[in-house]
Amino acid sequence: MVKPDLSVELGPLRLDNPVLTASGTFGYGLEFRPFLDLGRLGGLVTKGLSPRPRQGNPPPRIVETPAGMLNSIGLQNVGVDAFIADKLPELRQHRLAVVANVFGETEAEYVEVCSKLDQSDGVTAIELNVSCPNVEKGGMIFGNDPAALSRVTRACRDATSLPLIVKLSPNVTDIRDTARGAADGGADILSLINTFVGMAVDVERRRPVLARASGGLSGPAIRPLAVWLTWQVHQAVDLPLIGMGGIITARDALEFILAGASAVQVGTANFIHPDAATRVLDGLEDYLVRHEIASIRELVGTLASGVTV
Amino acid sequence: MPQDIKTSVLRNTDLGNANFLLEFEATPSMTEMTPAQFFMLGIPGSDMLLRRPFSVCGIPGTFEDAPANAVQVLYKVVGTGTGLLASLGSGAVINVLGPLGNGFEAPSEAGTRPVFVAGGIGSAPFPALASWLPEKAARPLMYYGARTSNDLPLADWFASHTERLIVTTEDGSAGHEGLVTEPLGELLESNPAESLHLYVCGPEPMLKAVARLALKHGVTCDLSLEAHMACGFGVCLGCVVPTRRPGTDEIRYDRVCVEGPVMRAGVLAW
Repeated sequence: MVKPDLSVELGPLRLDNPVLTASGTFGYGLEFRPFLDLGRLGGLVTKGLSPRPRQGNPPPRIVETPAGMLNSIGLQNVGVDAFIADKLPELRQHRLAVVANVFGETEAEYVEVCSKLDQSDGVTAIELNVSCPNVEKGGMIFGNDPAALSRVTRACRDATSLPLIVKLSPNVTDIRDTARGAADGGADILSLINTFVGMAVDVERRRPVLARASGGLSGPAIRPLAVWLTWQVHQAVDLPLIGMGGIITARDALEFILAGASAVQVGTANFIHPDAATRVLDGLEDYLVRHEIASIRELVGTLASGVTV
Repeated sequence: MPQDIKTSVLRNTDLGNANFLLEFEATPSMTEMTPAQFFMLGIPGSDMLLRRPFSVCGIPGTFEDAPANAVQVLYKVVGTGTGLLASLGSGAVINVLGPLGNGFEAPSEAGTRPVFVAGGIGSAPFPALASWLPEKAARPLMYYGARTSNDLPLADWFASHTERLIVTTEDGSAGHEGLVTEPLGELLESNPAESLHLYVCGPEPMLKAVARLALKHGVTCDLSLEAHMACGFGVCLGCVVPTRRPGTDEIRYDRVCVEGPVMRAGVLAW
């Protein structure tokens, strides 16, 4: 059989394959050069970029939990200007799709970062982080309210012609409401999900393990939750989806693709195996060959079930 | 350049009181490392999701009976990950990523005395350091403190591979009763600052106390830090410590895995 076609189209965004690396788990990409060929990735999503550098939260910031981990990094990042000046020129040499993850404390800050990225050579798309659980201002304030999410999405939509992805929070009553809010605001693509808010307790010292008490839960522990939310949104909103949440292997990625995601992001797995994303990609290709499927696009949202939600 | 390999446990020796010395087979390029660099160890298919960082304890040449291309790590069972590691026997498969981070530097002057200061399992990097220091360097002094006598792994090895081993225990069950900073303070009082270079690894309260002492006496003091980390190569940002830019009050968070694990005493903003 001929080599299967792994390329995907998500509205205006065309990728060579459906495997991206998730924001906050892949640095600015360059740190991974000793371990994998960046050019093989469908794309990478940068650490959240804010208008100015951010120090992040005090340590301890992470702890492993059953089949997952909690993190409370607090969006430590170099700032959008340093990203454009120092990181982007090197990334351009690797010829891969670079999705810039954007964070702001106010709507104006989101717009500021989007505008700067829009004018930079080498940014393929923008992902709005409106779902970070580890900062006081911004983030989830926008992501939890469909109307506020619609407004910030619209403001960013007007600030850039790049494909616009909105990353949804799972920490809501009904994710379909925020998904519709992002769609109404002009999002091209939805990515889901960000981390679940959680807490771990040090029982010997009778205090939270993390300095800021709560953190975002990621890893295989959240995968069934993420797959379910992906399937719900797939049936509620007519936008292409990027699924994520505890993907370690190609089998895990296929759960999201069958549930309606056109592409996936690999996150926590990058910490465990720095070449996790290309392992997932190899596994997807094997799956297509084994099932004699010509294109990964044929699988998207083809979950066989009589149930709708 | 770090490598990510699947390899075998050669030996996993129980040193008593939950202290273990694990030996694994490394590639030749992985053994080209400096002491206090570290490896991220993972157990495939186990309940331990993330890898755990371990300072290198032995490189080829450190332990006389070790096979070539073997690397040793010293660890104490404190949680789920180290508990699983302790259950591994010879032949068990592990994932090893490394070497990572910045290790110790040799003293800048041949006449400068290396002084090892270890707290309990914090003695881990010192066998590698002792065997790695240039031959012309002065033989090290070692100040080795612990809560009790059975928390002094490899004490016999240190006794025969250092100029002098000074042991302190909090309960007086071995060596001097008290903290390691007491005899160390006497050393710093009675020697010119430039004649000593401190290498320190141990629990955070000990690191802070030794750092204060060293700064007070103006002695060069390198600390090997420990932190929870998810990746080990600079992307999770989980392992940061507050640091101060030289000559300023500007505080920022540096990564133990990339900017460290060795940091100079004056840089840390504790």
